Amino acid sequence: MFVSESPATLSQRRSHPPAGLLPPRRRGVPADLAARVRPVSTAASRLLALPGPLVPLFPDGALRRGGTTLVTGVPGRGASTLALALLASASAGAGWCASVGLTDPGVVAVAELGLDLRRVVFVPHPTAGWADAAAELLDGVDVVLVCPPGRVRPTVARHLVARARERQSALVVLVERPGNWPVGPDAVLTVTAAEWHGIGQGHGHLRGRRAEVQVTGRRPAGRPVSRTLWLPSGTGALADVTPDGVALSPPVPA
Amino acid sequence: MERLVAVWCPTLLEEGDRADEAREFTRVLDTLEAFCPWVEAACLGVATLPARGPARFFGGEPALVALLAAAVVEVVGTTEGVRVGVADGLFAALLAARAEVVVPPGTTGAFVAPWSVAVLRRPELAVTLQRLGVHTLGQFAALPGSHVSARFGADAAACHRVARGEEGELAGLRDPGIDRRLRVVRGEVTDGPCQPGFFGGASAADARAARAFARVQHRLGIDAVLVGRLGGGRGPAERARLVPWGSRDTQSSSSAPAGRPGDATGDGGAPWPGRVPSPAPVAVLVDPPGVEVLDASGRPVTVTGRGLLTSTPTRCSVAGGPWQGVAAWAGPWPATERWWSTRRRRARLQIVFEGGMACLLVAEREKWWMEALYD
Repeated sequence: MFVSESPATLSQRRSHPPAGLLPPRRRGVPADLAARVRPVSTAASRLLALPGPLVPLFPDGALRRGGTTLVTGVPGRGASTLALALLASASAGAGWCASVGLTDPGVVAVAELGLDLRRVVFVPHPTAGWADAAAELLDGVDVVLVCPPGRVRPTVARHLVARARERQSALVVLVERPGNWPVGPDAVLTVTAAEWHGIGQGHGHLRGRRAEVQVTGRRPAGRPVSRTLWLPSGTGALADVTPDGVALSPPVPA
Repeated sequence: MERLVAVWCPTLLEEGDRADEAREFTRVLDTLEAFCPWVEAACLGVATLPARGPARFFGGEPALVALLAAAVVEVVGTTEGVRVGVADGLFAALLAARAEVVVPPGTTGAFVAPWSVAVLRRPELAVTLQRLGVHTLGQFAALPGSHVSARFGADAAACHRVARGEEGELAGLRDPGIDRRLRVVRGEVTDGPCQPGFFGGASAADARAARAFARVQHRLGIDAVLVGRLGGGRGPAERARLVPWGSRDTQSSSSAPAGRPGDATGDGGAPWPGRVPSPAPVAVLVDPPGVEVLDASGRPVTVTGRGLLTSTPTRCSVAGGPWQGVAAWAGPWPATERWWSTRRRRARLQIVFEGGMACLLVAEREKWWMEALYD
């Protein structure tokens, strides 16, 4: 036997916003809290959202958990900036990230790149224990940046790659030459050209570095992709260069 | 070592039931800040301030001591409630305040010599030394440094340098939590843990991360795992600092404004004239190497008193390395802080080398240092 609802109850229901505007469940739980208590290993959270200018460089448009990304480039071309920008993917999802062996990190630059300083730890001088420290950190955080001193032994590299896959953390390796990391990564990011803008002979100041970043992947679809971006822009974050490529002046903070 | 005035308030050293002592101590600090803005609380009841600038302004160190004592007596009410002393470095300054004397510069070793080794606040070391017949800091200082280090370890070696008057800072002299405690008393921050996760504690991911950091600290030492904090300042090294993970500072920071993700400057947008504009350098060198900067005719480039370069820089040599041509440069940004102290007159210069590497140089006392790299 059905009991028909009174018209008053129906109109009350209709006055609610449509279901799409509200989260389906947990109406009493704040959105950020819901994101934090979500299980770590669902399919959707296998990807870590990257800063906008880096999205076209990756096949998934994001950093993949369990994967290894190699960042290479001669010092001074912006490889460190690029590697730290990849860590911002963890901060976007309220996750944790760590850097091992990156000596003298510039904390202000790290914050300007969009990392949440409350959720970044630095191990600047791990000395001989860098691989052990990196393995421990892969256990606990979402993205680990490793700057190995010199060439890495294949057993050590394989161990770290396996640990990242097992713990579903993203491993980012910053080396001067690709040959220093003996295991094939999922993607290799190389800064092929870089030029500072905004500075002259005694006037202006460093406003941005226009850099060309090339990606080579291991996958069949992974033919080299190249992209020009501000690494960093005038705000300290990464930014796109306009499509025609003629705009020389990087965006400046308002 | 810096000349320090120590203000010692014996009645405020211990906190009672209602935290009146801490509140009264904040009033003492406010009073002292009328004399000098660089007042620091070493622990509850003990404040320090640099002596050089205020002493010159108020007519000498004895006059400054008298003025400070009179001002603090008005706050605490009794003359027994305040003792003021001046010496080189924190350790000697604290003893000078207890003895109410002004120790002349360079005589720290002679001043601390008659004090008992117990004032080092190392009970086990003091007992051992006294059993060995070493009762005073002077006797302790007379021991060979290498022997002290070999027999008692690094901490005792630090105590030994302090006893000799070679160093002023000693672990344990400052209460690391005093700043936060006073800010709680002033009502600037609320006490208690940061934002709770599910069920009131940290979330599972936070706990997992904390366990990993603890394991790395266990392996490499507490100081090996660091987190960044932002603050006010002009240079990249002053605007940020790295503190060990897990210190009280890092736990409290999520409720403090300094670590808020949207606030990249960390100082609430306060103006800092002389600050080098964004973007900030990615590598801030803890140990800045010296740099030689020459102009086209091979003469060194320096910064004039008006904050201008004497000539155009054309080549540089970092730490005695090969000469590199200067492709572009900008600045200098003069940063004159604590103008009475010649040590802190600085100017910063951005340089792009011909190879494309950009760096930040800082000039101090006619010398250039590489402070940071824009890698």
